[in-house]
Amino acid sequence: MIRLSKKPLEGIRVIDSSYVFAGPYATGLLGDLGAEVIKVEGPTRPDFTRGGAFSGLLPENEPKDDPWNRMSAYNLVNRGKKSLVLDLTRKEGRDVFVDLLKKSDVLVENFTPRVMRGWGLDYPNLKKLNPGIIMVSNTGYGRGGPYSAYPAQATTQEATHGLAAVTGYAGGEPSKAGQSYVDFLAAWTICMAAMIGLRYRRRFGSGLWADIGMYQLGCYNVSEFVMDNIANGAKGERIGNRHRQYAPQGTYRCAGKDAWCALSVRDDDEWRALAGVIGKPELASDSRYATEAARRTNHDAIDALITQWTSNLSKIEAMERLQQAGVPAGAVLDGRDLHFNPQLKERGLIEKVAFPPERDMGPARPLIGRPWNFSKIPLSIKGPAPAYGQHNAEVLRDVLGYDEARIAALRAEKLVVDGKPVKPREFPMMSMDKRVEIGRLAYWEPDYREKLGIL
Amino acid sequence: MLPATLDDLKVLDLSQGLAGPVCAKILADFGADVVKVEPLKGDAARNMAPFFGNAPHPEKSLVYSLANLNKRGVKVNFEDAEGRALIRQMAQKADIIIESYKPGYLASLGLDYESLARDNPRLIMVSITPFGQTGPYKDFKNEEIITYALSGIMSISGLAEREPLKHGGMQSQYEGGLAGAVGTLAAIHARDMLGEGQQVDISLQDVITSTLVIHQPMYGWVGAVQGRRRPSGSNYGQVQECKDGYFIWQTGGGAEWSDIIEFFGSEQLKEERFATVAGRALHGIDLDRIVLDATKDRTMQELFNTASEKYHMLFGIVQEPQDLARCPHLEAREYFQEVDHPVMGRIKVPYRLWSMPDAPAVYRRSAPLLGQHNAEVFGEMLGLDSDRMSALAAKGVI
Repeated sequence: MIRLSKKPLEGIRVIDSSYVFAGPYATGLLGDLGAEVIKVEGPTRPDFTRGGAFSGLLPENEPKDDPWNRMSAYNLVNRGKKSLVLDLTRKEGRDVFVDLLKKSDVLVENFTPRVMRGWGLDYPNLKKLNPGIIMVSNTGYGRGGPYSAYPAQATTQEATHGLAAVTGYAGGEPSKAGQSYVDFLAAWTICMAAMIGLRYRRRFGSGLWADIGMYQLGCYNVSEFVMDNIANGAKGERIGNRHRQYAPQGTYRCAGKDAWCALSVRDDDEWRALAGVIGKPELASDSRYATEAARRTNHDAIDALITQWTSNLSKIEAMERLQQAGVPAGAVLDGRDLHFNPQLKERGLIEKVAFPPERDMGPARPLIGRPWNFSKIPLSIKGPAPAYGQHNAEVLRDVLGYDEARIAALRAEKLVVDGKPVKPREFPMMSMDKRVEIGRLAYWEPDYREKLGIL
Repeated sequence: MLPATLDDLKVLDLSQGLAGPVCAKILADFGADVVKVEPLKGDAARNMAPFFGNAPHPEKSLVYSLANLNKRGVKVNFEDAEGRALIRQMAQKADIIIESYKPGYLASLGLDYESLARDNPRLIMVSITPFGQTGPYKDFKNEEIITYALSGIMSISGLAEREPLKHGGMQSQYEGGLAGAVGTLAAIHARDMLGEGQQVDISLQDVITSTLVIHQPMYGWVGAVQGRRRPSGSNYGQVQECKDGYFIWQTGGGAEWSDIIEFFGSEQLKEERFATVAGRALHGIDLDRIVLDATKDRTMQELFNTASEKYHMLFGIVQEPQDLARCPHLEAREYFQEVDHPVMGRIKVPYRLWSMPDAPAVYRRSAPLLGQHNAEVFGEMLGLDSDRMSALAAKGVI
């Protein structure tokens, strides 16, 4: 196989001053594609993923001396970056930031609109400092429009952008997606906007500004419901795991704890196949089930018949037997299964990222890579997420060309801070068993390192 | 006329359904000349509900009209040697092919990447399929709920005592379109820099698993596995009912607890036990009751506006499709596009994903009717004259 000599974004410098998931994940992925990414955080304002509810867990549930560098979600989205800790609340800190932006190609930020304007770093001003820069702003509602200044985050947005209204058990309340859903739509969109901006600059000579409002992205993903309302006056509905048309469809309980297999029957051939595989071929010609409309009507009875069969099989066995017979089926994988699933394994989605010994993170940890396989560019995560302020000196010296005296002065003034946040984010310590007991976790496996081969 | 970033690129969209077409539509929005190449029976999305007027009709599929805006359309018989020759000729003049066929199908027609790239080494081919081009599941039959199950996301959606819950609609398809466009743009960058095309292989399972950035690493960090939400007895942090719908509120944002007390307007919230996160969780049932009582006569929209504008609270409301269809914010952001469709007439279509004032997404045309641009595309791209096209049409090739 021919390999290209460079990664697509090699030579591109990205400044990531965004927090939490959308911007940091996007810039992490741009890093995987070859960009140099510098993460900028404040001395009193470390990223929210360095503690608290967004941050995941600590290795072996032990904080050690630097919990802010050790959280799981932080380490996933910020892989391969450099870390600069710079006080943007003071003019002298912003001067350094401006120097950095002058030498950069892309800025990804998620400050509220008034912050960047207040600092004179909104796009019209930034463009004067660096006409080639591509500025990607990601906020809840975007600039302009009646909700522009409304505070937002994924949890409240998934209700507002329409997903909750169409998600839920039949007859039940609207349900939350429960994992910062819209942030990931924004992550892909930030990557797109940055790459369209870079191509625009290559072709037409100047940078541009992309104004992303996550709300719009969430709304787009329920478009068929919105269009059905526009065209037909239809209302949204919550139908659980069922399909408007296909029947049966659902998740069926299998042998084992919390074990489920999903299946969907989209035509009479698949129904015949399902009837055969569950050992009741006579159902294929039974008038109660022979047509799609009849199957929708008698869905509950079909569900009971399927469950009789699935409940004696493991979820993987049920899936494999259904697929072999030509019925769309998939085991409900959990967070553990993802690491051992033969399909994800062959695709190489989850990579083991090595940590240097001084980080005391163990030799390696498995992290999600990228959902794109390029035939000529083998990509991998470049390296671990940085420790807080790890690259302060390197960035100031090598990127900005500051001399040692200037760097020392910035440190003395606490405009640049090394090692420890002035105000670390809190992390509620709790034993693993307690986390399971209160329902934050389903279970945990103490021997996971052995299973993963990361001893 | 503003410059369009991708207007030097010709794209053949061989994909069907929603994920591949959305990816190709995004390229079209930013200027690429996208030709949708459909088999004679048309894209499967033409048979997908909902339909305009609720009557199944190949030109009235709302999903098709959404995902194929800004494209021209031709129809070609893939099963016919002359049809395949036409596709090969178009591929020689194309920069990018987007496709979503079962792995191996295009190869069986001699239309796989290796064959097409022999004559056009700059060609990029992007495949967006449920499980990708490799691996033991590559030939698995799929439906949205299957991707959802195998991506891991369903294991954390819904309630612990009930079955795992799929999100509404076709989320993996839309997400596949967005992620697919990222992969496509990366391949365009590589080609701009190094001159060579390549294949990009995208799996929807990989795409959805990629969104589990909180969930996945917990296992590799400490062997932990999240499950679904347990009933706590309290709705705090979940949706709650008001006069005409549901809302959700959170602490944080720009609001102090005292702001939140003032917003709900209840003296009882001043009690010491509600002052901390831990206290609110512990006394969640009482908190719910007080909040429900304080909001039962207030409307969703008023709560949303007041909480957000006056108190800078993190606040959401459960908007139904009809609320989005007439949302003033979406209108102000020019999110919808008025489209004049030859069969459906004038219809408002969700369109603008984000704003980019210097090089915006530009609307040019409604989704193509099946074979609508045969004459135009085959004439201009392949130089076929009308006699030749009539002959091909008579033989059922186009």
